[in-house]
Amino acid sequence: MTEKKKLGNFTDQDAPQYEDVLQCMRCGFCLPTCPTFALTGRERSSPRGRVALARAVAEQKLEFTDAVKEEAFFCLDCRACTTACPSGVRAGEVMEVCRSQSHQRFPLHHVGKSFREFILQRMLPNPGLMEKSMLPARLYQRLGIQWLVRHSKALKLGPAWVEKAEGMMPGLEAPLRPQLPELTPARGEKRGRVGFFLGCIMTLMYPGVSRQTVKVLAHQGFDVITPKQTKCCGAPHLNEGDRQTARELALFNLNLFLEADVDHIVTDCAGCGATLKEYEELLEELAEHERLAAFRAKIRDISEFLDQVGLRTEGLKRISKSVTYHEPCHLCHAQGVSSQPRNLIKQIPGIDLREMNEASWCCGSAATWGLKFSEESQQVLDRKLNNVKQTGADILVTANPGCHLQLAWGLQQGGLPQQILHIMELLGMATPDHD
Amino acid sequence: MISQIAIQLLIDKLGKQNVITAAEDLLVLGYDSTPGLHATPDLVVYPTDSDQVQSVMQIARDHKVSITPRGSGTGLSGGSIPINGGIVICLNKMNKILEIDEENLTATCQAGVVTLDLFNAVAAKGLFYPPDPGSQKISTLGGNVMEDAGGLRGLKYGVTRDYVMALKCVLPDGSLLRTGGKSVKDVAGYAFKDLLVGSEGTLAIITEITVKLIPPPQDKRTFLAYFDNIRIAGEAVSKIIAAKIIPSTMEIMDKATINCVEDYVKIGLPREMAALLLIEVDGHPAMVAEEAESIERILKEVGAAEVHVAKDAEEAASLAAARRTALSALARVSPTTLLEDATVPRSMLADTFALIEKLTEKYGLTVGTFGHAGDGNLHPTVLCDERDNDEMKRAHAFYDELYDQVLAWGGTVSGEHGIGIAKKEYLARQIGPGGVAVMKRIKQAFDPEGLLNPGKIFADDQE
Repeated sequence: MTEKKKLGNFTDQDAPQYEDVLQCMRCGFCLPTCPTFALTGRERSSPRGRVALARAVAEQKLEFTDAVKEEAFFCLDCRACTTACPSGVRAGEVMEVCRSQSHQRFPLHHVGKSFREFILQRMLPNPGLMEKSMLPARLYQRLGIQWLVRHSKALKLGPAWVEKAEGMMPGLEAPLRPQLPELTPARGEKRGRVGFFLGCIMTLMYPGVSRQTVKVLAHQGFDVITPKQTKCCGAPHLNEGDRQTARELALFNLNLFLEADVDHIVTDCAGCGATLKEYEELLEELAEHERLAAFRAKIRDISEFLDQVGLRTEGLKRISKSVTYHEPCHLCHAQGVSSQPRNLIKQIPGIDLREMNEASWCCGSAATWGLKFSEESQQVLDRKLNNVKQTGADILVTANPGCHLQLAWGLQQGGLPQQILHIMELLGMATPDHD
Repeated sequence: MISQIAIQLLIDKLGKQNVITAAEDLLVLGYDSTPGLHATPDLVVYPTDSDQVQSVMQIARDHKVSITPRGSGTGLSGGSIPINGGIVICLNKMNKILEIDEENLTATCQAGVVTLDLFNAVAAKGLFYPPDPGSQKISTLGGNVMEDAGGLRGLKYGVTRDYVMALKCVLPDGSLLRTGGKSVKDVAGYAFKDLLVGSEGTLAIITEITVKLIPPPQDKRTFLAYFDNIRIAGEAVSKIIAAKIIPSTMEIMDKATINCVEDYVKIGLPREMAALLLIEVDGHPAMVAEEAESIERILKEVGAAEVHVAKDAEEAASLAAARRTALSALARVSPTTLLEDATVPRSMLADTFALIEKLTEKYGLTVGTFGHAGDGNLHPTVLCDERDNDEMKRAHAFYDELYDQVLAWGGTVSGEHGIGIAKKEYLARQIGPGGVAVMKRIKQAFDPEGLLNPGKIFADDQE
């Protein structure tokens, strides 16, 4: 993907492949699944329309205009269209590549650029730096948000995003990474050895969730290896169109986890999981095929993994609650993991799983989309909350930190009674403590 | 080109947000699902009610601008492509269901209502709207009426035409007209409503539709039959019909289609089989049981390799959903999918399959065939690459020869997709110069200036 022959009006670096856009036969099966098309009713804001725009750029019927850039970033990248497409078109990925094109064509002005570089190229690739910046967390919150406020115009964030960003921030504990031992030993009869890919947002914002993930894995009979040097998976970089830094991070993590000699590599962050599974394509020309294939074969989302090896339910504690499950886009659409989390939830004694309507419809978080398009994000969120409400469930379960932040904020704003939990928190509650 | 004055008038009537001129928007509103066809309109409008449609038509009339109606753009013959530019009038924001009349068993909705949304809304009241084109999740009622869309249930329940009771429409002269009504019988004057159904947007723009609803069947049984040879599948269809059984659905997929669909849906379809039939009987439980038994017997007699019964409604629904993806799934294989809509008398089905096999070999093509076998309506689809001129030529020769024989057997060049841009030549072959002339006279009577959806059904210079 690095150096390809120039395609039409795209630049030669990170352009879509012509076959990928030609594949769309315009049947429109994607239209009813696209949140931005549902919001606008506008063809160009639909997967079919976006692919047609990319095709027009490729065929030199259109320059890579501002509108093409807008669509690249207005796309939630939720991948619902990929699931819906019988022809195998991946409109989300085409738009991700177009984001990279956007940065090559429309360089940000100074402030925006330096902020973007600061976050993407200095902070995210460096776990130590990030953890320091989070200590003390309250200071970070204040400084970080102040900084954003000062530069919100340059960053083109949506209206009322400040309250939202502040309101969304969970009560922060100390980051998990420094606290987790490199090896957490298996309990009971040992079933294997897994590497735990601890994502940035998980360690910084949801350390309590990933602590439960490790506890559950150990209880299920797995030695858990958590390499301290793990770097960001690269998802934010792909999302923002910085494919170069993403490749550097991917290469580092690939080598780190292959050396760790584990049977599987597991993550509890759907966004990380989706990106890790894309390393094979991302690093196509930078790493040996066998190593990429070996890495790909080991990557599992935590639910996918536990469902595959079979949950040991003996001794699980009873939880007499009703639960509804929101499917993270990066789990169900990007990874095709949909039945597995439900299978796990149903095995917890006492749980009543109530399906909500449109469980796999995006919640409107979509990385920074929720801050950039705060009004549209609210509309997508309202649709989701309405479906949650109708179930009357006690607990809303999800499996991705982005959704978790957005839904927690929505429940709080809407005054809804549901408690929100990551699926590993729910399983953690049912798992007996050994200490 | 459209004048600034006309644009301003449109903005005055519809509001600025409903009059679109950005190049990127125009570019993506000049296609439908027909391969290889694209044209860019000069302007796009999104009316929200009949009065606005009327205003747009009047402005187009006064300024002599072409106007092309569009729903969701899922058509398969190019009917909504603005080949002369001008205005594209998108009706998909007119998506309100206005009434479900449980006393008269009718529903009235705006033209932009999505087919499946209407189906679900009436189902919630214990009623049934049968027409179910493959694109029912996306297609609009207005588009269905204009193309007289069929679907999987056509065999027993008929097509869109059989359910249209009344239409509200805007004529090219700018007048608003109602035709038909909720009366079950109506022979007052010409059957104008019936002329509009299937007119492909060339005679009027439909704004509201009243459809007939029926009680849903109480019971149904779904079969999946596999065949080693597609001709045997064709025989099975003819034999079932000859046994005086009318299933609600009798769909066929050949090997290429089975494999493409299975690649997408992954529900365990038999990849090694030459063909499968998806058969559904519905109605009163006693009748369903009786017909199901006969069908199973006939399938075994003709030599089906395997016969399976769907274990529940969910499995039956997933099979129908899988069948609906057939065309799009075939598009996985090649950049271009050329689809046709040949329809023959059902007794000729087995011969048609044999002919398709022969021609596929003769022209060295890859063809996937699926369709509504019970209706004799097949969709032989050439999987090709539009960049390969030679292959495209062979594909067209394939269809030429196929259609010659289909017409000789008393079939039709289009069962349910319409003529549009794609099949103008074939229509002339089917109905002859006299037929074309009379159709053109009808068109002229409605639209003497030729502004409404120009260039469709017959070429302007066609005799």
